[in-house]
Amino acid sequence: MKQVISFVLNGDRMELEVESHWTLLYLLREHLEITGTKPGCESGECGACTVLVNGKAINSCIFPAMEVHGATVITIEGLAKPSGELHPLQKAFVEHGGVQCGFCTPGMIMAAKGLLDENPNPTEDEIRHALAGNICRCTGYVQIIEAVMAASRTASQQ
Amino acid sequence: MEALGSVGKRVPKLDAADKVTGRAVYIQDLKVPGMLYGKILRSKYPHARIIHIDTSKAKKLLGVRAVITAEDVPEVRFGLMKDQPALKGQKVRSYRDEVAAVAAIDPQIAEEAISSIEVEYDSLPGVFNPEEAMKEGAPLVHEENKSNVLKIPWKLVEGDVDQARKDSAFVAEDSYDLTWVTHCCMGTEGVIADFDLRNNLTVYRNTQIPYLAQRDFNDALRAMGLKGSKSRVIKPTIAGGFGSKLDTYAFEYIAILLAYVTRKPVKILQTREEEFRYTSTRQPAIVNIAQGCDQNGKLTFRDISMTLDNGAYTSWGATTPSVMMMPISSLYKVPNVRYEATCVYTNNTWSQAMRGYGNPQATFAIESNLDQLALEAGIDPMEFRLINANEPGEITPQRFKITTCGLKECIWEVGKRLEWEKRKKGAKIEGRGIGMASLIHVGGGARVYKSDGCGTIVKVDDFGTVSVFTGATDIGQGAETVIAQMVADEIGVMPEDVTIIDNDTDVCPWDVGVHASRTTFVAGNSALMAARKVKEQILKISAGYVDRWKDKEGNRHETKLDDDPANLFVRDRMICSATDPETKVSLGKILRGAHYSQGGTMIMAEHFYDPDNENLDREFKGNLSKTYAYGTHGVEVEVDKETGKVKILKYIAAHDVGRAINPMLLEGQIYGAAAMGTGYALTEQLILEEGKVMNANFRDYKILTAKDVIPVEPVIVETMDQDGPYGAKGIGEPGCVPSAPAIANAIYDAIGVRIKSLPITPEKIVEALRGKK
Amino acid sequence: MNTFDYLMPTSLDEAISLCASHGEEALYVAGGTDVMVKVKEGKISPQYLISLRHLQEGLDHIEYKNGELKIGALATHRMLELSPVIRRDFPMLFDAVQNIGSVQIRNVATIGGNIANAVPSADGAIPLITLGARVRIKGPRGERSMALEDLFVGPGQTLLEQGEIVLEFVIPELPPHTGGAYWKHTRRAAMELPLLGVAVLLSLDDDLQTCAEARIGLGVLGPTPMRAKKAEATLKGKRLDDETLEEAGKAAAAECKARDSIRGKAWYRREMVEVLVQRMARLAMERAQ
Repeated sequence: MKQVISFVLNGDRMELEVESHWTLLYLLREHLEITGTKPGCESGECGACTVLVNGKAINSCIFPAMEVHGATVITIEGLAKPSGELHPLQKAFVEHGGVQCGFCTPGMIMAAKGLLDENPNPTEDEIRHALAGNICRCTGYVQIIEAVMAASRTASQQ
Repeated sequence: MEALGSVGKRVPKLDAADKVTGRAVYIQDLKVPGMLYGKILRSKYPHARIIHIDTSKAKKLLGVRAVITAEDVPEVRFGLMKDQPALKGQKVRSYRDEVAAVAAIDPQIAEEAISSIEVEYDSLPGVFNPEEAMKEGAPLVHEENKSNVLKIPWKLVEGDVDQARKDSAFVAEDSYDLTWVTHCCMGTEGVIADFDLRNNLTVYRNTQIPYLAQRDFNDALRAMGLKGSKSRVIKPTIAGGFGSKLDTYAFEYIAILLAYVTRKPVKILQTREEEFRYTSTRQPAIVNIAQGCDQNGKLTFRDISMTLDNGAYTSWGATTPSVMMMPISSLYKVPNVRYEATCVYTNNTWSQAMRGYGNPQATFAIESNLDQLALEAGIDPMEFRLINANEPGEITPQRFKITTCGLKECIWEVGKRLEWEKRKKGAKIEGRGIGMASLIHVGGGARVYKSDGCGTIVKVDDFGTVSVFTGATDIGQGAETVIAQMVADEIGVMPEDVTIIDNDTDVCPWDVGVHASRTTFVAGNSALMAARKVKEQILKISAGYVDRWKDKEGNRHETKLDDDPANLFVRDRMICSATDPETKVSLGKILRGAHYSQGGTMIMAEHFYDPDNENLDREFKGNLSKTYAYGTHGVEVEVDKETGKVKILKYIAAHDVGRAINPMLLEGQIYGAAAMGTGYALTEQLILEEGKVMNANFRDYKILTAKDVIPVEPVIVETMDQDGPYGAKGIGEPGCVPSAPAIANAIYDAIGVRIKSLPITPEKIVEALRGKK
Repeated sequence: MNTFDYLMPTSLDEAISLCASHGEEALYVAGGTDVMVKVKEGKISPQYLISLRHLQEGLDHIEYKNGELKIGALATHRMLELSPVIRRDFPMLFDAVQNIGSVQIRNVATIGGNIANAVPSADGAIPLITLGARVRIKGPRGERSMALEDLFVGPGQTLLEQGEIVLEFVIPELPPHTGGAYWKHTRRAAMELPLLGVAVLLSLDDDLQTCAEARIGLGVLGPTPMRAKKAEATLKGKRLDDETLEEAGKAAAAECKARDSIRGKAWYRREMVEVLVQRMARLAMERAQ
């Protein structure tokens, strides 16, 4: 069943036809060819596909595409400014070694953004709790946590 | 050496900006115009004869472009012993066996086609345990062999172990059991194969061995009757390796066959479930070990025998004994050594390289048993290690030449930070314990093949931008950044002026592969030497240069550089005079001057660096690496005796790295490896029942999450290796080698039980405590 | 191919009538974290998914009035996790929901969906049955309600008839001096289905030492979430000291129906029931002061 949905994606108004069985991940990667959001397991078990829908971090691999109708979606591509200036989280990940192979990174940053938008000054435990659903095999999480802490400090200084 | 710019500094990874913005392109993201999607039908049985394959329904599906089985295509044999064809026609020997493949216009149609293929099997009895498989009358996995035991004579002997045992004051003997774990790279395996009109092949692959893979693909092309065809390997950004991509797999050859048959690019991408089921694992091992010492705690002998489950086909797992020999012969000073390993075919999955390549398995047995021996001898475990620690200048039983060695410093650092002596002398805290374990690993390349080399070409453009073409591969560890730092510092430019090109076998010089923690050392030295040549060229064209320029008011000036290149140096994009650093000329201006003139020159140089380490000889002895990395991990645990759960309170990871080129990336390697090692110790296990993987997902394969806190404190010990670039040695693998024994030793200290199989689950602890009562 | 039509009714009655008209080919979906995975794995292949996320009735309330707690079936686990009421007055439920899956899962997965999925491990179900929750249901034949623990009849099986939707959970007023605690026993600190789950609710007499009422809920220790009624009986009316707690632990261990699975062995689960019932009872006592 085809259906027209309209939503806001990274600040842009979108109106397009989707198949009713598509997931949001499929819509982003295969249909719109915005490939920043990654497929890690396609079962909601690793967080690599995390995007924000109406400000909430969700696993796009098991999120029905139809459910973004009327919603605001932010993916990793929507964080940096058009000028190229990186979001404080992106800057912090770069500066603190929070990126190695980078495959978990977009999902990790979006989950972190979901946290900081709700809780601008999290403790280390709160950061770990918020990122518990994002698996990383490279970093052991330490420099990722440092990056999120640093980003929260930068943001609160602004 | 001149004052260093970026070496030793926490320079962010060069590709980090692309990765944090989602711009980096991985094999998952790559599309080639006209591309088809391939899917593979795997065996329904662990051991069976194939009677008939009916692909008629699949062929009729709309959107299917090819369906192939073994009889439709030339046989392409691959693997260490060439004991498997890409598509299996007569027999299946494991659940991984590839029976048929489909190429279709989208993955869903390919999947549907696969499920419509009907295969008739005649099931055979299987064997799932190497000790069972060795017995007389066990089902033969490869019937052409007379036995399931592989004819690979892994045996290392030095001195007289039996006599040494008789002469020992104390002996500790035991058995250890290590099971399958898997890499869990966040991006799954994938490949795109594409033939051009002249039958030249391009393969896009997240590989760790671009040039060895190229050779394997050339072999496949010959087997396909395409003599004279060339292959080219292009690497997209790689989402993790950890050894999983040190081999070529059946699915790559299948993609090549499908691409050939359809004359279209074919992509095969594994799902996460397929990744768990079909990726070769870390080598499991059943280890029997005995070690002895004299009255004073000096090691007298080490006697080890291992049985290795080789699975259905042979891959690098069968060669892990060659690396296990390293800690067996050279971790601590031990004069008499004997080691034997037997690899046995079974109908289980098979193993390949995984971070440490056998070292974690051997070190678990050695370091756990060492603590037992120390106990027997009545000597403190830290003291015991110091008594036997390796030292610079030593030649080990395997003829390794130990040059720099910071083992003692690492042991002291761990002891200091765990407050070892105070704890051991003080009152025991119920349920808490401390333990340590050390490691040796190759740190200066490893001559596994006939070449351990890496080539680099460095070119400089008209503006002072440096391009480095390297054979090295970045798998997320930061190879490109470290190389850029070293090249920038050598030439005298900034790291951001350096671009690394490392992704195309048509363009980049040869490298044997990203393994053995060799990239910083070998690729680094190669880049450094090429950069040195470039710098010489730059200084030569700069010598005697006269720069004519006008100031803001229009006055003319002249700056003349020294006639002797030895009196010049490059810094901050300027050529400066050594005698008067204020006398300087822009590098770009000089480069353009040299280029845009009659008989002009441009700057470019290359260097192929192959360290003068040695292949192991027939007795498996030889100086395998140019230098060796050492380290010690120390752990404090708290064990809940009622539930068996282990909490890590402190984790010290001390590593002799020679020199930290980039402390931030180095710490990243230590944190990541410690997490992988802790998972190996406590939670990770690929569960197989009768050859079938039972936990093929992240829910049931327990890789640690951000909430599983391991408070790792990295301690970097710099011994400034004379052969390493800027003094550096390797770090990629060492971080996960001693984790399991350090934790096991701490658990013993905490609750007095020794768990000898991994993972150390709560159940094993509760059972052991019950047994103790 | 796993295709389906995705319908988004805007009222409860519309949802029910859509489901009735499509019969066996239709399934309700709330957050989708269970349904979407099952569809992808080929375990189910509905022709229609009926989304419950746009009902004008909402059904995602968390209301605490006159001691009675009403939780709408469509409240997400994240809403429960962040609710001050749940955290302060129903810490056992907070214990359970705050570590279900991940934030990403909890942001969309609903407590009603968790219950309807009816796995024996459901972290949501155990505390609710221990709190004595009743479940309200509406379907083509109207509304009904029952004790939540009666809803489960087997692994993945409930008494929900075709077309019925879970509306809300009602937890009756708890006696004074009541405290509860829930422990999810896992191998890792997150992203886990529990090896076992233990909930203990204790209501104390005015002397704060004697047990007026005890409820013990167990998860993954039987084909359905269960109450360890024999163990509960060993506590009722007794002074809560080490001996009585130990007796209750042993009784619960004997009463449960632990099984071997690739996630864990029966013997370990049984031993842990004994240990954890005692630990949760002590925590419940603390919270009851």
